Amino acid sequence: MSVFALEFPPVSHLFDWPTIWFDGTPLAINKTVLIYLAATAATMVLFGLAGRTRESLVPVGVQHVAESGVNFIENSVVMQTIGPDGKKFMPFLTSMFFFILFSNITEVVPFIQFPANSRMAVPITLALLVWVVYNVVGVKSQGVFGYLKNSLFPPGVPWVLYVIVTPIELVSTFVVRPFSLAIRLWANMVAGHLLLVTFAILTATLWEFFYVPAALPFVMLILMTAFEILVSFLQAFIFTILTAVYIGGSMHPEH
Amino acid sequence: MARKTLRLFATLGAASAVLLAAAGPAGAAGETIGGCVLEQVHHAEEEYGSLGAVEADEKAFKDFEADLEGCVEAPSPILPELDEIIWGGLAFVILFGFMWRWGFPAVKRAMDARSEKIRSDLDAADAAKTDALRTKSDYEAQLAEAKTAAAAIIDDARAQADQLRQDLQARAEADIAEQRARAAADIESSRRQAIDDLRNDVAAIAVGAAERVVGASLDAGVHRSLIDGYIDEVAAGTSAGNGDGS
Repeated sequence: MSVFALEFPPVSHLFDWPTIWFDGTPLAINKTVLIYLAATAATMVLFGLAGRTRESLVPVGVQHVAESGVNFIENSVVMQTIGPDGKKFMPFLTSMFFFILFSNITEVVPFIQFPANSRMAVPITLALLVWVVYNVVGVKSQGVFGYLKNSLFPPGVPWVLYVIVTPIELVSTFVVRPFSLAIRLWANMVAGHLLLVTFAILTATLWEFFYVPAALPFVMLILMTAFEILVSFLQAFIFTILTAVYIGGSMHPEH
Repeated sequence: MARKTLRLFATLGAASAVLLAAAGPAGAAGETIGGCVLEQVHHAEEEYGSLGAVEADEKAFKDFEADLEGCVEAPSPILPELDEIIWGGLAFVILFGFMWRWGFPAVKRAMDARSEKIRSDLDAADAAKTDALRTKSDYEAQLAEAKTAAAAIIDDARAQADQLRQDLQARAEADIAEQRARAAADIESSRRQAIDDLRNDVAAIAVGAAERVVGASLDAGVHRSLIDGYIDEVAAGTSAGNGDGS
């Protein structure tokens, strides 16, 4: 695809990777799948090494990373949104945070340079899982009738407004939430990847003709790489904290 | 157990590195439109023998054309692929199972153990501080007692010294008074003796002188009383003249 004399690959070629193994089967493995598996392995290695009993008073290395992550999830996510009751969801939320983070951060890892969550598979799978979890939690905490009543007829709203509010809440809580959750993560990673690719191609093309102007997109490429590291963390955090908010709302409708 | 765990995690780490290493080159294929077109051409040649045969067959040509257009047409990026859903979901389920059963509890246990150790260390430090404060207060109490006792001893010594001084002073004054009285008695005695001696001497001298003057011997008894009376007058006159008796 030629855009202003730049050979820009079609978008599908930036995100749709060819199969490496098991082509034509539902278990086909491509680059995206390898990143998912690597994210799982990396999280398991991190927590496996960190969990070994040590006598050191000050945690260092992987232990420090894992414990900081756990503290962060507990203090900034669970305690802020659910409260002490939410500590039982810590393994779920911690797994989710690190899995999304490691799947995102490959965007800036040299020779990989692709965020696995710019593919819709994991965002939508996790979002649907979250949908199931918060609905089950809501039914367990309040009962079917109570959960539906509190979800569709929020307390404190004048009854006349239920004509408007109830359909909105129905669509918002039970239909839109998982998709908004998934699309937010997916779209952010797609946009980040496109930006990096754009500046990389611009730099490479200009470098063939003029060295000096190539510096500008190259500087932008460096800045955007740093920005995408931030985005990787931020999106993992947002996905996790929204999950906690939904679970907290199901557990404590009064909030 | 630790060695076995380390081996397990080293294996997982190595697997992760291999996966990531494989993921890099995996992106090379099909990345460009040219590569895609070339792949479709090879595919058509394999299926129909040559591109000429494809052109001859209308249906094959349309299929080939559609495949080539597919190289520049992007499939909807928002639709997830089934294989990626399966693998991604499976990867998360495995991770969650590991975290729920081992990973998270182990890290949490280590954190709790550290917190407990810090708490117990703080408690021990508090206890040691309390002990030190108690020892300090004991010491200060003992010091205060010692100071009080020392002050009492000093006061007692000072009182004893005062008493001793007063006793010595009283004794000295008594001695001085006694010596003074004794001296006064001695002086009085000496004075009387001197007066007696003087009286005798004066009497004898006066008698002798009178005998020479009058040429006759007077009665010694009368002389004697006259002389004594004279001397007493003289003595009385001398004492009255001196005033202080000296």
